[in-house]
Amino acid sequence: MRQRNLVTFIIGAVLVIIFGLLLFVFQVRQSEVVVITTFGKPTRVLDQPGAYFRWPWPIQQVNRFDARIQNFQDQFSETLTADQQNLLTSVYVGWKITDAAEFLRSFRGSVPAAQNRLENMLRSAEKQVVGNHALSDFVNADPQELKFDRIEKEIEDTVQGELTTNACGMTLEFLGFTRIGLPQDVTQAVFDRMKADRQRLISKWENEGKAQAEIIRSTADRQAANTLANAQAQAIRIRAQGEAEAARTTLPVFQQNPELANFLLRLDALKSTLNQKSTLIFDERTPPFDLFQHLPTNAPSQTP
Amino acid sequence: MSDEHEPHLPPSEPAAPEARDAGSQALAEALHSSFAIVKVVLILLVLAFFASGVFQVGPQERAVILRLGKPVGVGPRQLLGPGLHWSLPYPIDQVIKIPITEIQQVQSTAGWWHTTPEEELAGANPAAAGLLNPAIDGFALSADTNIVHVRVTLYYRIEDPLRAVFGFAGDTNFTYSLAGVSNALQNVLNNALLYSAAHFNEDDILTRNVAGFTEAVKTRTQDLIEAEKLGVSVENIAVDTAPPQQLADIFQKVTEASENRNKALLAAHTEADKIISDAAAQAAAITNAAEIARNQYVTELSAFAKKFTDLLPKYESNPDLFVNVQLAETMAQALTNVEKWVQPTSLNGKSTEVRLMLNREPPAPKKTTATGE
Repeated sequence: MRQRNLVTFIIGAVLVIIFGLLLFVFQVRQSEVVVITTFGKPTRVLDQPGAYFRWPWPIQQVNRFDARIQNFQDQFSETLTADQQNLLTSVYVGWKITDAAEFLRSFRGSVPAAQNRLENMLRSAEKQVVGNHALSDFVNADPQELKFDRIEKEIEDTVQGELTTNACGMTLEFLGFTRIGLPQDVTQAVFDRMKADRQRLISKWENEGKAQAEIIRSTADRQAANTLANAQAQAIRIRAQGEAEAARTTLPVFQQNPELANFLLRLDALKSTLNQKSTLIFDERTPPFDLFQHLPTNAPSQTP
Repeated sequence: MSDEHEPHLPPSEPAAPEARDAGSQALAEALHSSFAIVKVVLILLVLAFFASGVFQVGPQERAVILRLGKPVGVGPRQLLGPGLHWSLPYPIDQVIKIPITEIQQVQSTAGWWHTTPEEELAGANPAAAGLLNPAIDGFALSADTNIVHVRVTLYYRIEDPLRAVFGFAGDTNFTYSLAGVSNALQNVLNNALLYSAAHFNEDDILTRNVAGFTEAVKTRTQDLIEAEKLGVSVENIAVDTAPPQQLADIFQKVTEASENRNKALLAAHTEADKIISDAAAQAAAITNAAEIARNQYVTELSAFAKKFTDLLPKYESNPDLFVNVQLAETMAQALTNVEKWVQPTSLNGKSTEVRLMLNREPPAPKKTTATGE
């Protein structure tokens, strides 16, 4: 009987403890932040994970917030640049709750309400910053002229300033453009310009192709002519060298008897000339045909 | 189990003056046995309660145990690898599983035209609409303020699961997931494509400097991932670019014109190469011929000098005789090959007239085919 009472007591005690724990203890999980309000007034902020004590409702209430970075993107909407161009922009931000008590006070702890407020701040900051910059600050092939990063930083600083001033308990972790575009009617003008550009490019390619091909060919012709002229000059030099060389070695020999040299050279020339098909007309008195003169002929005898 | 003597206790309550009857004994026994069953069930339930804490981590997962909200372990040891693990039952412990090793994929949304899921599947481009609707069609502005479509696909792994899960909220319900990082990455890709397109002219993006543009997108993506501490490692970044569909025809024509130009240039280069190599061959032939002529000349003249030296003593002994002999010999040789015509001296001192038909070659026979016409 006593034992049974003991068991009942233990079970009862365990149940009471569990009930008590549920009533008086709560958890703060990793990456959460909790604000304890006592009769509606924030009295404690807990940002470290663990189990904590509280008085049960209605004395104390646990307000739980996500302390992680939340992604948010504002509406894609139109703004006017400094040079009066219509530009559609949208930015993304990573924001988080850094002061949960302030966040609770400002937005009654509602994340949608906070994002609504953030949206308004982003829109007005974009209008203000984009209005200070020309379109060429957004898009430019010259990195010195392009101010993409700077514009993003200016918007971020403006919004962060507002968040701090208004004690929203929120901080921006990062901000950047997530869309940039042009209004629908402007795209037609851009298309027309792009078309004209392409047309110009087409005729440029066509003309340039012909002209360059002609240049390539004529350059090759010139180069070929140069090569041939150089070769001719080289050939003349080679022949002249040969003649000079021959003269150097043979002239002293011929000097011994120029008459004989002259005779032999003429004889050689005669031989090589008569090697070819030729007709020679000789006078009867030319040796060896002069021998014919002493032959008897059937010509009429000399007139008496 | 050890309290088994309980049923043997003397039944004090039913110790009524009347003897216990069979019915009450049977009831007591029935109660006793059902109490034993309940006890066994209770024990089993307790066992099941603790066994429910056993969980499995798959090969492509990591897990973190939150004990009273706080991660168990310190630093990287908070992450449990694949295998069986045990945790205390909820609400003391909570197990968070994170898919980690598989390659995840996210695609930009800002720079591409609107496609329906069917078109996306078929890989077809939608028919070119009149204008781009900024509400649904995405595009980027190039440095020369032209419209260009860019799409970036990022393949990544979760490198720091704790940062991904505890650093970024995926929704507003306090759940732990990778959706927050995935959203942040998508924004990063959108920003990277807008930022890079703003640096490059359209022709560079589409044709002239595709590699440079792709590299710029990659660099910007990496920079933002590091700056925003997203805790992912990039496996690959793929960049697609396209001109506006509305201008597809004229872009095609530009490509054709460019190809034709390249073809013309290639043909010209081929022709030029031929001209130059022909000239080089011809030049080599000319100089070689000159070399041959030079060698021949030098050799012949040397031979002639030799002959001169040989004949000189004979000549000097009797020049007239030598000349006549040589001349006669030469004439004899030479005259065998030539046609000779001896003009007799005039008989009466009058000059004689000789008429020669030069060019006595017979005329070429007339071509019959030519005459036939």
